[in-house]
Amino acid sequence: MNRKSLRYTLKQGFIGLLHICTHELKQVFKDQGVLIFFLLVPLAYPLIYAFIYTNEVVRDVPAAVVDLSNSSQSREFIRLVDASADVKIQSYCADMEEAKTLLKKTKVYGVIYIPEDFSKNLAEGKQSTVSLYCDMSGMLYYKSLLLSCTNTSLTVNKQIQIERAGNTTERQDELTTAPIEYEDVSLFNPQDGFASFLIPAVLMLIIQQTLLLGVGMSAGTAREHNRFHDLIPQTRHYQGTLRVIMGKASAYLLIYLMVSAYILCLVPKMFNLVQIALPWTLLAFIFPYLLSCIFFAMTCSVLIKHREACLVVYVFTSVPLLFISGISWPGAAIPGFWKAFSYIFPSTFGINGFVRINSMGATLQEVLPEYRALWLQTGFYFITTFLTFRHQITLSRRHALERLYVFRLRKLAAKRLKG
Amino acid sequence: MSLQTWKRLRTIAKREVFRIATQPIYLFSIIVAPIFCFVFFSTLMEKGLPTDMPAGVVDLDNTATTRNIIRNLDAFQHIRITASYASISEARRAMQKGEIYSFYYIPEGTTEKALANRQPKVSFYINYSYLIAGSLLYKDERTMSELASAAVGQATLLAKGATEAQAMAFLQPIVIETHALNNPWLNYSVYLCNTLFPGILMLLIFLTTIYTLGTELKENTAKEWMQMADNSITTALFGKFLPQTAIFFLIAVFYNVYLYGFLHYPCNSGIFPMLLAGLLLVIASQAFGIFLFGLFENLRLALSAASLWGVISFSISGFTYPVMAMHPTLQGLSVLFPLRHYFLIYVNQALNGYPVTYAWQPIVSLLIFTLLPFCVLKKLRTAMLHFVYLP
Repeated sequence: MNRKSLRYTLKQGFIGLLHICTHELKQVFKDQGVLIFFLLVPLAYPLIYAFIYTNEVVRDVPAAVVDLSNSSQSREFIRLVDASADVKIQSYCADMEEAKTLLKKTKVYGVIYIPEDFSKNLAEGKQSTVSLYCDMSGMLYYKSLLLSCTNTSLTVNKQIQIERAGNTTERQDELTTAPIEYEDVSLFNPQDGFASFLIPAVLMLIIQQTLLLGVGMSAGTAREHNRFHDLIPQTRHYQGTLRVIMGKASAYLLIYLMVSAYILCLVPKMFNLVQIALPWTLLAFIFPYLLSCIFFAMTCSVLIKHREACLVVYVFTSVPLLFISGISWPGAAIPGFWKAFSYIFPSTFGINGFVRINSMGATLQEVLPEYRALWLQTGFYFITTFLTFRHQITLSRRHALERLYVFRLRKLAAKRLKG
Repeated sequence: MSLQTWKRLRTIAKREVFRIATQPIYLFSIIVAPIFCFVFFSTLMEKGLPTDMPAGVVDLDNTATTRNIIRNLDAFQHIRITASYASISEARRAMQKGEIYSFYYIPEGTTEKALANRQPKVSFYINYSYLIAGSLLYKDERTMSELASAAVGQATLLAKGATEAQAMAFLQPIVIETHALNNPWLNYSVYLCNTLFPGILMLLIFLTTIYTLGTELKENTAKEWMQMADNSITTALFGKFLPQTAIFFLIAVFYNVYLYGFLHYPCNSGIFPMLLAGLLLVIASQAFGIFLFGLFENLRLALSAASLWGVISFSISGFTYPVMAMHPTLQGLSVLFPLRHYFLIYVNQALNGYPVTYAWQPIVSLLIFTLLPFCVLKKLRTAMLHFVYLP
C-alpha cells in the first residue's frame, strides 16, 4: 500500500487513536490517584452535598419574646408566630436585657418585642408596633423570622379589621380585608429549598473540576514517568497530534458519559430534587459540555509539572467558579468584567444551561446561547489543545533526536577508540 | 531552648524560604491565589444587595390603574421591569430562557372588579431556582400587592370621611418594625466575604502544608531535612513551618485590614481580636494539614482528604445554610471543621461585638486543632527518615 495515500494515513490514524484510547483507559484504571477523581469524587461528593442540604429549608428558628403588654392580643400574636413552621418561641423573657443575653449565648436568633402600649393602642384604634430584632449571622434566620412575623401580622390585622368593620356577611369581610387578592406562585422549586437551588449547579461543577484534576494528574504522572519530563511519549502510535488528542479525549469521554449519567440523572432522583429535564435535550446539551470540559482540562494540563500539583492549583477554584456562574449570586448583579471573565470556563454555560433544562424544563431552543457557547468553547479549546500538544510533541521529538545524536556520537567515539 | 536548636531552626527556616521563593507553585498557593480570591469576591458582590433584577409583567387588563401598579413595582429597589408579555406561557418561556427571574400577572378585568368591589386576584410567579434573586423579588412583589390592596381600601375609607391616620390604623393595625442587628443594609457581601476569605485561606493552607511535607519525601530531601534538625521532628517541623506561618498570617492581616479598614464592614470588636482569630486559624489549619499528612503518609491521599475537608467546610460551617437545619449527624460532625469555629468567633466578635467569654467553645476548639500534630509526630518521624515516595 502506498504509504502516502489518504487511506493509509486514515487507517494508521484510526489504529493509533484506538491504541491511545485503550492505553489511556488502562492508565486511568491503573492509577489510584486519577481513579479517585474520575470515580470516587463524582460518586461521593454529590451524595455529601445532597445530604448536607437535604432538609431544604430552615424550620423552627429559635426566638425569644419580650411581651411587656401581656394582653390577650399580644399572647395571640405570639401563639401565631410560634405556630408557624419557620419560628419556634424558645423563651419568654422579662426584659430586653435577658433576651440580649440569650442572643449572646446563641440560644436564640431573634427577639420579638411587644411594647407596653400594644393592646392599648389597638383598643384606641391607633397603630401598634411590634419590633423584631434579628441576629444577622445567617440570612436564612432573618428570612424565616421576618416572614413569620409579617404573615402573623397580616393575619391578625385581618381579624382586627373584621371586628372593627362590623360587617354582616362573610363576603363583606373578605372585601374589607382584601379588596384585591393576591397569590404567589413558586415556580421550579416548589418548597423554595436550598438543595433544589444549589445542588444542580454543584453537580455540573463537579464534572468540570474532577476532569481538570484527573486529566491534570495523569499529565503530571506522564511527565514524571518520562525520562525527559515530556508530556507525550515518543513511540510509534504517538505520531500525529490529532490522534493523540482524539485518543485521549475519547477515553475521557467514555468514562464521563457514565459518570454524568450517574451525577445528573441518578443523584437528583435519589434525593427527590426537581428533575423535569427532557432526556434528549439533556443528552444533546451534556455532549458539548463534556467535550469542552475535556479539551479545557487538556489545555490546562500542560501547566501541571508534578502529579500532585494539580490539587494545589485547581481545588480552590471551585468556590469562585460556583459564585461566578450566576446561580448563588444572581447573574444580573455580576459586574461586567467578571461576567466576561466567567466566559472562559465551560462551567458557566454548563451550569446555567443545566439548571434551566433540569429544574425549569427548558428545551434546547431556550438554552441556545449556552449551547452555542459550549460548542464554541469546544472548538476553541480543541485548537488550544492541538497547539499546546503539538508543541509538546515537537519538544519530545527534539529530546529524542538529541538522545539519538548523543548515542551516535558515543558509538562513533567508541568505534574510533577501538580503531 | 539551647543555642544549637536555635541555629538549626534558623538554617531550616532559611532553606524553607529559599524553597518557597524558587518554586512558582508556592508563590501561587501562598500569595497569588488567596489575594485573587479576596479581590474577586469583594468586587463580585460590590453592590452588597443585588438591585434592579429583571422581572416581567403580563398585564392583560392594561388600564391606568394597572399601569400605575407596574410603574410602582418598577420603582422598588430590587425590581426592574424589563419586558411585558402577552401571555403567561410567553413569560414562562422568557423565564426558561433566563431573561427574567419573576413575572407579575394582572388578569383582564382587574380594575373593573376592584372598582365594583368584586375582589379581583393578581398573582406573581417567582423562579426559586435562583434563591437569592427569588427571595428578594418575592419581598418586593408581595409588598406591592399589599399596597395595591391597601390603596383601594384607603380610597374607600377616605371617601367615607376617615382621616389618613385613621385609615392607616384601620388598614394596618399592627406594624412590624424590623431591626437587622449589625447588618442593617442586609449586605450579602458582609455576610459571605467574612467567612469566604478565611475559608479560602484555610483550604490553601491545608494544601500547601501537605504539599510541602510530601515533596520532601518525593524529592528525596527528607533525610537531609531531618539531619539539619538533628533528627528531631519537632525542630524540623517548627523550622519548616514558621516562615509559612508568618506569610500566611500576613495574608490574614491583609484580608482583615481589607475587610474592616478598607471596605468598612462591621467590626464591633475592634480589629485586634479578629487578627488573633486569624492567627489562630492559620496555625490550626497548618496543624490540621500536618495531622492529615501524618495520618495518611501519602501525599496524594492526604491532599485529596484535605481538599474534601476544605471544600466541605464552606457548606458545613453554616454561614449560608445554617447548621441547625442539617441532619443531626452533620451537626455533630461540623465541630471537626476549623472554619466552623472561626465563623462562630467572627459572629461573636466582629459582627456582634459580644464579650469574648461567650465564644470560649470555638476558641478552645481551634486551640485543640493546633495540638493535633502531636498525635502523629512519631509516625511522621519514621516516615521522613525511612519511607520512600509512593505515587
